[in-house]
Amino acid sequence: MYTIGLRYCGGCNPQIDRTRVVKDLREGLAKLQTAVDITTDRSRAVDLLLLINGCEHACLEEDYSERDGPIISVEGLMVDRRPVEEDDIPDILIRKILDMMSSSSH
Amino acid sequence: MNGKEYIESLRGLNREVYFLGRKIKNVVDEPMFQPHIHTAAMTYELAHEPEYQEIMTAVSHVTGERINRFTHIHHSIDDLVKKVRMMRLLGQKTGTCFQRCVGLDGLNAVYVTSYDIDQKYGTDYHERFRDYLLQVQENDWMPSGAMTDARGDRSRRPSMQQHPDAYLHIKERLDDGIIVSGMKAHITGAVNSHEILVMPTRTMSEEDADFALSFALPADTEGVSYIFSRQTNDTRRLDGVLDGGNPKYGIVGGEAVIVFKDVFVPWERVFMAGEYDFTTELVETFAGYHRSNYGGCKVGLADVVIGGSNWIAEAHGVERSSHIVDKLTDMIAMAETCWSCTLACSYEGHKTPSGAYNIHPLLANVTKLNITRMVYEWMRLAQDIAGGKIITLPSEKDLENPEIRETLFECFAGKQGFSPLDIIRMLRLIENMSVGAGLPEAMHGAGSPAAQKIMIARRSGIEKKMELAKTVAGINRDDYFERIIGKDETTHWNEVKKKLRGRETEIY
Repeated sequence: MYTIGLRYCGGCNPQIDRTRVVKDLREGLAKLQTAVDITTDRSRAVDLLLLINGCEHACLEEDYSERDGPIISVEGLMVDRRPVEEDDIPDILIRKILDMMSSSSH
Repeated sequence: MNGKEYIESLRGLNREVYFLGRKIKNVVDEPMFQPHIHTAAMTYELAHEPEYQEIMTAVSHVTGERINRFTHIHHSIDDLVKKVRMMRLLGQKTGTCFQRCVGLDGLNAVYVTSYDIDQKYGTDYHERFRDYLLQVQENDWMPSGAMTDARGDRSRRPSMQQHPDAYLHIKERLDDGIIVSGMKAHITGAVNSHEILVMPTRTMSEEDADFALSFALPADTEGVSYIFSRQTNDTRRLDGVLDGGNPKYGIVGGEAVIVFKDVFVPWERVFMAGEYDFTTELVETFAGYHRSNYGGCKVGLADVVIGGSNWIAEAHGVERSSHIVDKLTDMIAMAETCWSCTLACSYEGHKTPSGAYNIHPLLANVTKLNITRMVYEWMRLAQDIAGGKIITLPSEKDLENPEIRETLFECFAGKQGFSPLDIIRMLRLIENMSVGAGLPEAMHGAGSPAAQKIMIARRSGIEKKMELAKTVAGINRDDYFERIIGKDETTHWNEVKKKLRGRETEIY
């Protein structure tokens, strides 16, 4: 099973509803019947890290800047530093996750 | 380049400059311009002093070489923080505007925006700009940031103006470049910069595409001319030394109108030519950087005027009066409030798609809005502490007149140990800083208060705040509250009401 490590920033003044983004992401992946396990357990080894930052400052990116391995970062109204609409974030994440899953299986 | 070398480098530029009805042949040695040149020179000089290099220099992301921070593209939060530390430092050293931050902010804003234009349209503006940036860094150039157009009738769009040159625009597109005409108003440091970096002044629409324009040119390009602006009490510089108030560094930034008359710009120096849908991004990115600076430079000026006010209070023997201590404390608190704002908007900055870092736009606008109010307030308190003499002092020429000199020194004497001449010198400095052009500069520089309020309103996230209020008020479901109480809210409040029914009789 492909495992995604989910990390939330502290959520002090978010531009987006972080939990709704993750809820919609989970539902979207479930609809596609994608075999993905999303976990917040920091002790587990993961294939991909998903950082949910509430704003562009993206506090989590500093914490994981040294990490060796794939990362997708939501930075408020940006994903991987590309401006996005809040409602589009779950679909963008699904596309990115599917791409990463397919490249890791090759 | 150090300060002296910077001044000498200006001699090589043969630009067309007008002031007080005359054509100025020698810009560098013109007494009316020299204070501004000295101030800009400080941005070069301190970069060569080991005790300031940590702030005044940076490592170029293009070459890996150590460069003057005024030519640097911010690539970390630390860069953003050091930028505003540099602003405060230079404000402290000069007591006025050191001019070079406009070009710095222009370089960063064009870097960020040209990258985004290329991503959308497949153009090569960003590559051209990187080549230009490399030249700026290698030559340690000072580009003036030319943003504000003359603008004419503000109710009409650029393309609808009666006078076509009210906004700088493309007149003709050629194979090897463009021909531009128009006017940029009150451009800081224009007559003592090496280059001009042009940016659009506002959001443009499709019909204004020829006004969506960014480019850079050497300051002495054919067809470019300058008309230097007046400042408060400026001709006192021709009367001697003392009456100028800050004879070394002057007052505000030495602004000028720049006129472009059928000027040729080669394509390699063009960074936006018609992409009107990126004008908002360029203007807002520039404005954000620039507004954040004001919490640095103006606080540096506050450090000087607070120090001067305290010194005058001591010279007059009133430094222990409670109302003086109270006023000085208010001045310090306001200055440090602005400093806190600018540090916050730097620490809360973020990485852009280009890789460059931008400040937090909402907090930068809050910084500047505070400056538009608080500078007036702390300068008012400086005037209050200094007393009416700041506007009634006799001239330097009278102080030099042997017939009245001693009488005047008796008249303006203070506490023992303070020379009357020093007291007058300090009062002139406070006059220069608190009465002159520096006040409206704090109001309108980097955009007027209304512009900041538009940005604050736009970026406040008011919809999210309403959701917060609705959740706390009980209009929205409060998931976390329900988890705390272990049941849904309706059940919880029904149970609470039931319990209260019994207690009502106990109380009443």
